[in-house]
Amino acid sequence: VILEGRAAWVYGDDFDVDEIVGVENIRTFDIDHLRSVCMQSFTEGFVETIHPGDLLVAGRNFGYGHPHDQPMLVMREIGIAGVVAESFAPLFARTEIFNGFPLLACPGVSSVVRRWARLRVDWEEGRVTLVSSGQTLEGLRPAPEAVKQVRAGGGKNLLLQKLVSPS
Amino acid sequence: VATVACDIATVGATATEKILARASGLPSVKAGESVQATPDRIMVYDFPGFVDVLIHQLEDEFGIHQLTTPDRYVVFIDHLVTNGTAEESDLHRVTREWAARTGANLIDNEGIGHHVAAELGYALPGTFVVHFDAHVAGLGAFGTLGIGVHRQILEPWVTETIGLTVPGTVRIDLTGALAPHVDARDLLHTLIWRHGADGFLNHVVEFGGPGASSLGLGERQAVGGMIMFTGAMSALFEADDLVRTYIRSVSDAPISEAVSDADATYVDRIAVDLSTIEPLVVRPGSTNGAHTDSVTAVAGTQVSKGYIGSCASGRIEDIRAAAGLLAGHRVHPSFALTVVPTSNRIRHQAEREGLIEILERAGATVAGSSCDQCFGYARPLAEGEVCISTGTLNVRGRMGSPRSDIYMASAETVAASAIAGRIADPRQL
Repeated sequence: VILEGRAAWVYGDDFDVDEIVGVENIRTFDIDHLRSVCMQSFTEGFVETIHPGDLLVAGRNFGYGHPHDQPMLVMREIGIAGVVAESFAPLFARTEIFNGFPLLACPGVSSVVRRWARLRVDWEEGRVTLVSSGQTLEGLRPAPEAVKQVRAGGGKNLLLQKLVSPS
Repeated sequence: VATVACDIATVGATATEKILARASGLPSVKAGESVQATPDRIMVYDFPGFVDVLIHQLEDEFGIHQLTTPDRYVVFIDHLVTNGTAEESDLHRVTREWAARTGANLIDNEGIGHHVAAELGYALPGTFVVHFDAHVAGLGAFGTLGIGVHRQILEPWVTETIGLTVPGTVRIDLTGALAPHVDARDLLHTLIWRHGADGFLNHVVEFGGPGASSLGLGERQAVGGMIMFTGAMSALFEADDLVRTYIRSVSDAPISEAVSDADATYVDRIAVDLSTIEPLVVRPGSTNGAHTDSVTAVAGTQVSKGYIGSCASGRIEDIRAAAGLLAGHRVHPSFALTVVPTSNRIRHQAEREGLIEILERAGATVAGSSCDQCFGYARPLAEGEVCISTGTLNVRGRMGSPRSDIYMASAETVAASAIAGRIADPRQL
């Protein structure tokens, strides 16, 4: 899995992803509504600036708190392809990998990467390259089950392949 | 019922490694290994977008209409139960019908599932439980490894097994005892204050040592239930006679305790003297260390609502402590205090001990047991309201209006604040 895109936002430490849509919007699955509120408390017009394949960058413990589905649901919908963070809260990481969304833990990334920097991420190798400078950061390679889940487009697809239509 | 040592013959293994080895059918496992484990219980609570989706996926996408081991499944109805409307019954009807069809355990309105699980004997020492919600780690009070897996719950739901990486263990040796008017929530928030919101990231926190036995079961449950906010995957307390006596009162099942070997490999080992802990308050917005402070630093802050309840409080110890402070006092006229016993059994016990009468005479409202106030479904906060709460979360909007604020503290600090009408130090009452 190779990702290439710009750092659309750089979040700080212990970031509670529910803030992306606001806690008042964590019970709706209306994707148009979620698009309309995405990142509204951080910046104007975030959704319109995203190119498909763009990435999120964050500090330590990204996904802290009670992570709900809506924030990353809308991020995927607008074209965000993955997250590179210093580290991830375990519940957030488990659920988003199961949703087929690549997350890469890469110590040092949040101090090196500025917003809109272009990144190339070799997810399975755990490597991040800043395209402009060629600087490379070594992160943690994902666990084998995480690779299987992301390659299958999510844990549910993997289970369906195994249980419903064995190849 | 005989209590026997865990039958996994290993050396240098943590309790977590032993529990996951047994659940995976392996002689031993080590932190960092990938395993496919069979949880002793698969727990969920009925909430739109979760159990309705899981039932649909199980039956319509996976074609599974008969569970291999229905007794493994435990579904709690503890959310969205307080309005008594037809809408609520409709919401839970699908789940009730599915449980009746499949033979899955359905625990309907007996209180907060993360606590009721213990009362019904679903949390046995040395066993492994998964839930979509990470507060299930409170069952670590009984030596049960409870791991929250959010959307990955689909995997055990359809296969009765789950793939995971065996977590490492941080050992916390507790000494001393908590001072009067200091409780387990203060211990939990102290751990975050001292070690950060990612202090124990991805690990299981194992509590032991002489101080651990000074904590009541409810206090241990509160610490475990909130351990996710230290970054940890779960928490385990070493079983002691208090746990054994309790377990024998709720279950006839054979018990196989898992205890870390003396030469177990820990990621880290930390000593905490319980007598050094003081009452803490967590400011609105996040549970992290930057938001945590001594009660003396925030005392005097105006608050208008108080909530004692949730899976991380509301137990008999909390109700006794709150009643102890409120006896002979009145809740401040500008303040509304609600106490929600964590389960029906706890409410019955509080009634027998005369605590409900003390609380109500002091002006508090005692509500039926449920999760509903913690997430703003029952008695939501209005715009501009400021609440001091023993709930699990203080992000803006959690308990109602996105323009309300939530401070978090222990049951005693909430009770003291209720009397004062502002945040107050329970030691100074």
